[in-house]
Amino acid sequence: MALDRLTGENSILFARSEQLFDYARSKSLWYLAFGIACCAIEGLMSASGPRFDFDRMGVFFRASPRQADVMIVAGTVNRKMAETVRRLYDQMPEPKWVVAMGACASTGGPFREYPNVVLGVDQIVPVDVYVPGCPPRPESVQYAFIQLQKKIAERAKERVDAARG
Amino acid sequence: MLRVADVERLVAGIEGAAASEERLGIVVRVGRGSVEETLAQLKVAGFNWLVDLLGTDTGEHVEITYHLRSYEAGQDVFVKTAVPYDGELASVWQICPAALMPERETAELFGLRLSGHPNPKRLLTTDGVEPLLRKDVAVRTPEEFRR
Amino acid sequence: MSDPRYEVYEAGLIGEGMHEPPVLPAGLRRSPSGVDGLRTEHLVVNMGPQHPSTHGVLRMLVEVDGEEVVNAEASIGYLHRGIEKLAEHRRYDALGTLMDRGDYVSGIMGELAAALAVEQLLEVEVPRKAHWLRSLTSELNRIASHLVWYGTFGLDTGAMGQFLYAMRDREAILDILEAISGQRMMFNYVRPGGVVRDLPPGIDAKIRAFVDGFENVYLPEHDALLGGNEIFQSRVKGIGVITREQALAFGLTGPNLRASGVRYDVRANRPYAAYPELEFEVPVGETGDAWDRYLVRMEEMRQAARLIRQLIDGMPEGPHAAKVPKVLRPPAGEVYAAVESSRGETGVHLVSDGSEHPYRFHYRAPSLFALQALEEIVPGHLIADVVMIIGSTDVMMGEIDR
Repeated sequence: MALDRLTGENSILFARSEQLFDYARSKSLWYLAFGIACCAIEGLMSASGPRFDFDRMGVFFRASPRQADVMIVAGTVNRKMAETVRRLYDQMPEPKWVVAMGACASTGGPFREYPNVVLGVDQIVPVDVYVPGCPPRPESVQYAFIQLQKKIAERAKERVDAARG
Repeated sequence: MLRVADVERLVAGIEGAAASEERLGIVVRVGRGSVEETLAQLKVAGFNWLVDLLGTDTGEHVEITYHLRSYEAGQDVFVKTAVPYDGELASVWQICPAALMPERETAELFGLRLSGHPNPKRLLTTDGVEPLLRKDVAVRTPEEFRR
Repeated sequence: MSDPRYEVYEAGLIGEGMHEPPVLPAGLRRSPSGVDGLRTEHLVVNMGPQHPSTHGVLRMLVEVDGEEVVNAEASIGYLHRGIEKLAEHRRYDALGTLMDRGDYVSGIMGELAAALAVEQLLEVEVPRKAHWLRSLTSELNRIASHLVWYGTFGLDTGAMGQFLYAMRDREAILDILEAISGQRMMFNYVRPGGVVRDLPPGIDAKIRAFVDGFENVYLPEHDALLGGNEIFQSRVKGIGVITREQALAFGLTGPNLRASGVRYDVRANRPYAAYPELEFEVPVGETGDAWDRYLVRMEEMRQAARLIRQLIDGMPEGPHAAKVPKVLRPPAGEVYAAVESSRGETGVHLVSDGSEHPYRFHYRAPSLFALQALEEIVPGHLIADVVMIIGSTDVMMGEIDR
């Protein structure tokens, strides 16, 4: 078990609370079931299907933003959608992360010429990981989650270092 | 199979209606005021299925195309009319309920006013977005979308 | 508003006028029945655009009287990304990429509609093998698309298992399509003049193995898992009835129209690609309720498997594409071409002015017409049935908003 690896032979673990919480967070990244366009089929549906099976990494979907940690922006965001994306982000509890999945969410993708399309979701919400592709394969999204876990671990380290002074 | 002459006979009483055989199929061109009458007459003749409704910016006006189909005859007829820019698109939903949403979409994307519609709100975009399918509304240039 | 979090609102990135109260159309609507003359205050419930069961970014404004829906209005446009406008700035051979992203779970059929329209303008003769490859990929894609519908429709009723089984089979199809075209979803395989490449060696055996398994084991299993479930049956039978007259009046096509008893299938009534040479049945329903739509789609998967078998057995020899110029400049003209996609008649209305870009490109989306029929049929049902009815019509927001 993971805890054994941390504690070794002894059954007592000394850790800073930030470290422990961030460890738990990185292993249970629940994403918001919010598919916008094509990428949702790959990044949310295939991902929770039997082949890619994100559940085994502790990554699975929540229907409500209030229970979600990660927002996968899977699709083109236009000016009508922008307000909803921002609202959903605001409703998610801290700490929260955003994955911009696919070319559309990153830059506007093949639709960037259309004046109604927002040029990348980072104009609306802060993005942690960008996934290239149109659409990215579910493996790419898996990789994005691994990168996110690394980012969380780094943040834990920074916070511990800051506390030590 | 219906021929142009048959369709011409169907729309004979309507002022300014002219049927012709084009690449697209049988096209009936009518004035803006007699669209409803034409569609009603064609509906009686079996063309009761509105397959599609679209607008085209021809450079002088917006051309509205009603794509009708007769299930029994297995044939399509296209009714075309011209609406000036900022003109009024008269709703035909009482004859073809299928026109409800395509009409809203066409009116919005070509900047037309919609009259006689039960719900003439914008359909696809938010307030203040220009009529995007007009030819004079440009798309973003590479300088604009490269950040 | 000096908070940096609200900068997006100030920058004008976010639209206005989103929260006005709905103006609901009068005239077409049924009057509320009410229970024993009891009236409660009407409440407008907002579903979407983020909702687990609206199949994309559909927003439904549902006015309820207690549990009963009095009025429903669909608010769309959350995925409007200008496929029609952008097509005017694309070359003719690139229209397929846009169509792929319209109806994104049945991309091949969208590409085919665009390619057929361009070919009509160019008057180019497509080799026989290209026709067969187009039909083969279309039918594979149809099964994949119906499996997505099957899985999510079950989710709407509260079941979970069938989704995993549907995804398992869909992955098998995507593997085949990926081997053929190179991509899992945005195939870009059908181009004006033919298809991009021939079948890779050894794929026939794979397709045969898949069809054998699907027809004999997996499809009966799917049908038993969901259709044989009494809870599912009692939830879908009798709800969302679309009569034959309503279906024609609202311009429905595809499985939704056929479930209402109208035997119209573009593959049979206006054959294209290899369909004139193939044998298949067009299933129709009787009452037009959600259960009939379920049965029609299940039967369509069976027929698609039958078609794939014929297509693999009779695959002709020869070139897979006609010789067409690199830059296509079709002569000026206006054409309409349609295919039977998994949602209905996907049509492309194309106007050319003789240049290398289309003058006007219109995408006839079958789901748009299904959606406006929803506004009419949802009133009178219980609020719990709304997602079931949406799910049963298999609307796809990518092609509704375009």
